[in-house]
Amino acid sequence: MARAPSLYASRRRRNAITMGLSFGATAFGLSWLVLILAVLLWEGFSGLSLAVFTEMTPPPGAAGGLLNPIMGSLVMTTIAVLIGTPLGILAGTYMAEYGRYDKLTSVVRFINDILLSAPSIVIGLFVYEIMVAQMGHFSGWAGAVSLAVIVVPVVVRTTEDMLTLVPDTLREAAASIGLPRSLMIQKVAYRAARAGMITGVLLAIARISGETAPLLFTALNNQFWSLDLNAPVASLPVVIFQFALSPYKDWQSLAWTGALIITMAVLALSIIARLLAAQRRSS
Amino acid sequence: MVDVALQASGISIAEQIDRAKVLERLRLGDVAFRHITRAAAVTVLVILGGIIVSLVWGSLPALRTFGVSFLYEEVWNPVTEKFGAIAPIYGTVVTSLIAMLIAVPVGLFIALFLTELCPMWLRRPIGIAIELLAGIPSIIYGIWGLFVFAPFLQQYVQPFLITIFGPIPVLSTLFEGPPYGIGIFTAGLILAIMVLPFITSISRDVFEAVPPVLKEAAYGLGCTTWEVARYVVLPYARVGVIGGVMLGLGRALGETMAVTFVIGNAHRISGSLLAPGTTISATIANEFTEAVGDLYTSSLIALGLILFLITFVVLAIARLMLMRLNARVGV
Amino acid sequence: MSMAAITVPTVTHAPDNAGDLTEKVSVGNLDFYYGDNRALKNINVSLYQGKVTAFIGPSGCGKSTLLRVLNRMYDLYPNQRATGHVTLDNEDILSPSQDLNLLRAKVGMVFQKPTPFPMTIFENIAFGIRLYERLSKSELEDRVRHALERAALWEEVKDKLGANGLSLSGGQQQRLCIARTVAVRPEVILFDEPCSALDPISTAKIEELIDELKDDYTIVIVTHNMQQAARVSDFTAFMYLGELVEFGETTQIFTNPNDRRTQDYITGRFG
Repeated sequence: MARAPSLYASRRRRNAITMGLSFGATAFGLSWLVLILAVLLWEGFSGLSLAVFTEMTPPPGAAGGLLNPIMGSLVMTTIAVLIGTPLGILAGTYMAEYGRYDKLTSVVRFINDILLSAPSIVIGLFVYEIMVAQMGHFSGWAGAVSLAVIVVPVVVRTTEDMLTLVPDTLREAAASIGLPRSLMIQKVAYRAARAGMITGVLLAIARISGETAPLLFTALNNQFWSLDLNAPVASLPVVIFQFALSPYKDWQSLAWTGALIITMAVLALSIIARLLAAQRRSS
Repeated sequence: MVDVALQASGISIAEQIDRAKVLERLRLGDVAFRHITRAAAVTVLVILGGIIVSLVWGSLPALRTFGVSFLYEEVWNPVTEKFGAIAPIYGTVVTSLIAMLIAVPVGLFIALFLTELCPMWLRRPIGIAIELLAGIPSIIYGIWGLFVFAPFLQQYVQPFLITIFGPIPVLSTLFEGPPYGIGIFTAGLILAIMVLPFITSISRDVFEAVPPVLKEAAYGLGCTTWEVARYVVLPYARVGVIGGVMLGLGRALGETMAVTFVIGNAHRISGSLLAPGTTISATIANEFTEAVGDLYTSSLIALGLILFLITFVVLAIARLMLMRLNARVGV
Repeated sequence: MSMAAITVPTVTHAPDNAGDLTEKVSVGNLDFYYGDNRALKNINVSLYQGKVTAFIGPSGCGKSTLLRVLNRMYDLYPNQRATGHVTLDNEDILSPSQDLNLLRAKVGMVFQKPTPFPMTIFENIAFGIRLYERLSKSELEDRVRHALERAALWEEVKDKLGANGLSLSGGQQQRLCIARTVAVRPEVILFDEPCSALDPISTAKIEELIDELKDDYTIVIVTHNMQQAARVSDFTAFMYLGELVEFGETTQIFTNPNDRRTQDYITGRFG
């Protein structure tokens, strides 16, 4: 048994090293979060003022705000959700209810998951080809559509997952009083899965709030206040892109502030989604 | 008053007919709903088809002009209208590779920490922190990289790397100066920080799915935590981890904003990782709105097509691996 | 004599007071398949109006499967099919032209696990009523109250009709499901092990309820609890391995069964 102590010692040493590594990795990973958020808060807050929400984007060297890009982002995000959510919910409904066992569903699920992680700049190119190139000009509609294409896979996935979680006995109970299939889905299954489906929509909104690439050549950008969706529309991410890459200090400061606003919005949405999920679990 | 409603059971013939009428009326809506949902599901496929068709259509001029040489030519000259994709492809692949080389081991170790070492009360906060990191939009990483990280690298890290690897043959070319701050290496690092939370959370989910009885059996034999992780957890979770890694790779390849700010936008392949370069998505993002001429635009769309095909293949493999895992676990 | 191999024809006892009985549902030559697996073999049985019939037998004998044929619940799933005929009031409910929703409104079902809809107590009941009828608010309230009274639940919930159905106890939820079924005014009610998830007191209440309900409905109950079958039912069908082994009046089945297998099950030789 003389061999055992040194073998054991080396095993213990190896364990200690790897445990140390994993602890270090965690500290390493978390410190990036702290660093990034700290800088974001510092730079973003220093430029934050009421003017940011009330004034338009300024030319370089002048004071101004982010009103038109904020408005533009809100409008395009809303339209994207209005287009993408019903489409996603209906598709997810087919996959979880009518088509649960058929081939179409497995193919759609596969493709949908790929679309979920597809490069958003390619989505931008797609919408450019079918809308901007056809219409001959950039437009807010094109921007909204490209965001909608990103919303759809997220909503499809969560809808299917949440509806599948609804127990079959509930469906049978509805059928047992003579409820037709579509009413059973709309009045019973949707109601049972409601919290989860809303969470999915919130996550989709959080996702598109920060998307820049697809907007770069669909909605383009706009210096001025414009609610005409048939023309280029300013959006927060694109303005940040333009201002950050510029050599002007005040533009860069506005870029940070805009970044802070987006991050706060995304955080708020994630927290609400999380609260909803916890509420669902406890009921 | 005789209340028909209080009649004990069953319903009169007249009411049965009424009932049948109601159901007949509902039938149309029922059938319609079924068809609408089916059409919506098919639309997902149509979207994918549309993406592929529109990309191919838009790339045709470029592909017809340059042919296969598009894939390996380095030249990118809007004036003479000669375009080659090798520099963006190289940049895309190399930055993603750097990102994976860093994010995968770190992510696995963090997942290990979270599932084995971390005290219970700390698990949820750290888990939430990771999800926060994953939720930060990539443009934030981009500007942070441009204003904070790149200067930092330029001042402290890159000169250090250049001097340290100076005397070593191969590495000295890889890490040759001057220290720009921005460049392929920086972009790879930013990408690593971006992909890290994703790899971590997938690995953690897969590790947590390992049945406790398996781990307990190993602990019962006297295995150390590391040995349990290495000989029980990792082999069991292997397919899931690989699937997760490929998903992360797919995202890294397609990432635009985190990379565009710090890549340097130089259409060439350099020997040094510290030199500026470009990726497919960065090229498109920077040049598309200023592209003049059909060939230029078409070349950019062709780049998009190449990117889409690469990510499609990677993501499809990832999906298939994860499906195999689910089949085995019996999900 | 081996238990499985021989197909003994169903032993049926025509009840003595045959004149009082009306046949409500008649099952003939019924086979049921899960994919290629034949789960029910040549079932022949009659269910009588105003009586409670119990299906008993060991696990896997097919009693729940047979129950679920009676309202074609299996139609919700692929790869499940039935052949033969099942007649309800002279209509073959297995025929493809049968309107399933109409059938299920006529043949109600109460499940093993209480499944109230995710709605208020009032809505749970009103939901089914509203589907078929347009009633004024007071008429609707009357109907809901009536259904809850029939399910012996009215006194306990009359002050909290707006509460969520899931906030009730297990026994109350099951009575809510019974009220929901009764509200649609079916003619047959199927009970699939309705008490197996409930405590003894709730079980007793439900058994009382079944006894009250049988005057107005045709009731079928599947139960793995033989004593419950003996307490509650007028007729009993013993099933084994997908076959209907013996059918007759409950008292006769439990005191003097004709088939050896029935006897062995009753006396607890196997289960």
